[in-house]
Amino acid sequence: MSGVLEVLAWWLVLTGVWLVLISTVDSLEVMVGAAAALPTALVARAARRVVTGR
Amino acid sequence: MRADDGWLAVALVPLLALVPVLWRVSRGAPEDRLIAQNLSSLLGGLALLPAAQGFGRPAYVDVALVLSVLGPTGTLIYARFLGVLPGSRLVRRTALLGVPAIVLPLCVAAGPGRAMAKLLLIGALLIAGSVVTGAGGGRGRKAAADGGRTA
Repeated sequence: MSGVLEVLAWWLVLTGVWLVLISTVDSLEVMVGAAAALPTALVARAARRVVTGR
Repeated sequence: MRADDGWLAVALVPLLALVPVLWRVSRGAPEDRLIAQNLSSLLGGLALLPAAQGFGRPAYVDVALVLSVLGPTGTLIYARFLGVLPGSRLVRRTALLGVPAIVLPLCVAAGPGRAMAKLLLIGALLIAGSVVTGAGGGRGRKAAADGGRTA
């Protein structure tokens, strides 16, 4: 459960960063960003676990 | 003096500070040169942000963003080659004083919105990168962090 929450938190942060950094916000950009942020959130959690050793 | 010229004058400060820093990159002990290299990427980012405003080219902000991510990363990679991450109070102080001094006026100029959020993100990255790489880490600390995985 905590894993799902952590991935969700990473996904929210990464999608937020995407929305800040793109030049124009439209529905296609939002969809691409949200979709790309999901695997990236999984990788972020994996990387965090490697760094903290838990 | 127009407002654009004011921003360009601000950009000149970190740009001129780069001259002695780049000289230092090319001289002296490897640890000192690594600190100077670290400082040069910070100053480069700080010069690009007001330059983007002064020249009216928002794309320069993207270059500062890339620099704020890759600068500290490069420093950490070189620190790994050297076997030591030299701490530097100068880098930390330059970031803690210089980044707010330049980013906050730019935020006021940008007004609330995504542009301001982007500037704050870049500022946070510049400070975080400089604090992490300026904190330093000796050989013993690095060996312990690696868990003896590297030779």
